[in-house]
Amino acid sequence: MRRVLSSLIDGKGFDILLVSLTMIFLAALAGTPLVYNVMMSFQEVDMFNLGTFSRPVVGLDNYAAVVAQPEFGLIIRNTAIFVFGSIAGQFSIGFALAIFFMAKFPFASTIRGLFLVSWVMPGLVVGALWGFILAGDFGVLNAILQGIGLTDGTMFWKSDPNLSIWAVTIANIWLGLAFNMMLLSVGLAGIPNDLYEAAELDGANGLQRFATITLPMMRSTIGAVLALGLIYTLQQFDLFPAITEGGPANSSNVAQYWAWQWSFLLFDFAKGATVSVMMLIFVLVASIVYVWSTRHEVRG
Amino acid sequence: MNRVPVPKLLLVVAILLAAVYLFPFYWMYVTSLKGQSEIFANPPTFWPRDPNLSIFQDTWEKRNMSVFLWNSVVIGSGVTALTILLGTGCAYVLARYRSGWIDVALFTILMIQVLPASVMITPLYVGFNQFGLLNFPRTAVILAAAAKAIPFYIVLARATFMNVPRELEEAALVDGNSRWGAFFFIVLPLARNGILVLAILTFMQAFGEYIYSKSIITTKAYQPASVGLSGFLGPNATDWNGIMAYSAIYVTPIVAIFVILQRRIVAGLTSGALK
Repeated sequence: MRRVLSSLIDGKGFDILLVSLTMIFLAALAGTPLVYNVMMSFQEVDMFNLGTFSRPVVGLDNYAAVVAQPEFGLIIRNTAIFVFGSIAGQFSIGFALAIFFMAKFPFASTIRGLFLVSWVMPGLVVGALWGFILAGDFGVLNAILQGIGLTDGTMFWKSDPNLSIWAVTIANIWLGLAFNMMLLSVGLAGIPNDLYEAAELDGANGLQRFATITLPMMRSTIGAVLALGLIYTLQQFDLFPAITEGGPANSSNVAQYWAWQWSFLLFDFAKGATVSVMMLIFVLVASIVYVWSTRHEVRG
Repeated sequence: MNRVPVPKLLLVVAILLAAVYLFPFYWMYVTSLKGQSEIFANPPTFWPRDPNLSIFQDTWEKRNMSVFLWNSVVIGSGVTALTILLGTGCAYVLARYRSGWIDVALFTILMIQVLPASVMITPLYVGFNQFGLLNFPRTAVILAAAAKAIPFYIVLARATFMNVPRELEEAALVDGNSRWGAFFFIVLPLARNGILVLAILTFMQAFGEYIYSKSIITTKAYQPASVGLSGFLGPNATDWNGIMAYSAIYVTPIVAIFVILQRRIVAGLTSGALK
């Protein structure tokens, strides 16, 4: 007993105590629910057996039922558009801005920092702002697009089934752009300047320097940013209830919102669990890429 | 050839880029000040014809915002307190040692960090229901949101602790401090600024939390401002100046704090996420 106590005060016990308290909390509120989620996807869960622990096991029925839904294909397509559209937009614009802000001019880092204000905004407020900007008849985006002559007609971003998923994607590009830019800026700042100077002396032009120095030196940063982009895009939920509620007719519905609808609009918790388990597989692949590409940095 | 002052030109371009990017914020404030018919004008007006400041007070009273915002503060404070309490010590230990076990712990934390809230909410709701926690909805939301915030906090706080020189702590131990003494009186004060910034970030995130609150809190008196806003939002919304006034009241404190502490927040965020 004395040895345990003195270890807690002055030895290894101190470290173990600090880590294990947190780990127990995370195991209870993140680990257990994760396992429970997988379990529920093989059970039948309805309003009557919600409070009990013994529920009928139905095997793969939930998976078969989810895949057989008529909107299943549409939701996969929308999720793919949302994820790849968001990542492509956030990354390319974010990278361009990051390179621009590497130039030396007054207030460069202050102005760059202002961009990050989008990152601390409540997602629902961002959704509200974009819901209004993207409105059909009175939306300011349409007015600007018509003003500079890009479109003639009115684009019904939120109610046209061909556009609605893009409406949410545009909002998400805006939301994630600043974070991409910031992470890429950190990566760019880590490239030694002599490399560029040497290449310039050797007569390499801007494009050659970008292709032969910037890209190879940024490889692990780019890997991490893309993987984080996939993770954060699949985490994005708030924009959907705020802008389109998945509609019209599921044309802007994605896996993460669909899973929530199963559980909290239709009260079929087993189907909600099933959809989220399917989604989880993608998240896990992305996070392995992320952990792998940051392994040097994290070990420090 | 005439030399153009390049830095000044770049500054102008940078300000233009920032103005384009931050336009949605401008639009929020401007729209909230417009009258009911001016909102639907086509083409829209870029400056309100007849700015009406009373909208803020009207929205505050009509939407019962004091209750919603108070609940957001309660949830935000609860999540922040729990996160600091559980995350700080863990981050410190993970920053101090390097071994296989530490790698396993870090890997676990990174994996928990990536779990989407929309995946976790179904099992959390069913589990909370079985343990009777749904009768204490705000506590349930605080627990769920803290589990989401802690991994992120640990990753960033660990980077802060890495910058505290180890020698100072060793000197304190040689001088007869216990591990607790060295941690509380030497290491923590040195990491104070970093932890403060992370606490503010954690609070801001929890202040805007939506999905857990929407799913778990059904009693209106306990709902936070995000759920209150969702009540009159959606594809068929019409009360746009009310929505914008509500949003403006909701986010102005966050925007103000961000602008004041911008430098520190950006530094704190980037130090640990990717170094």
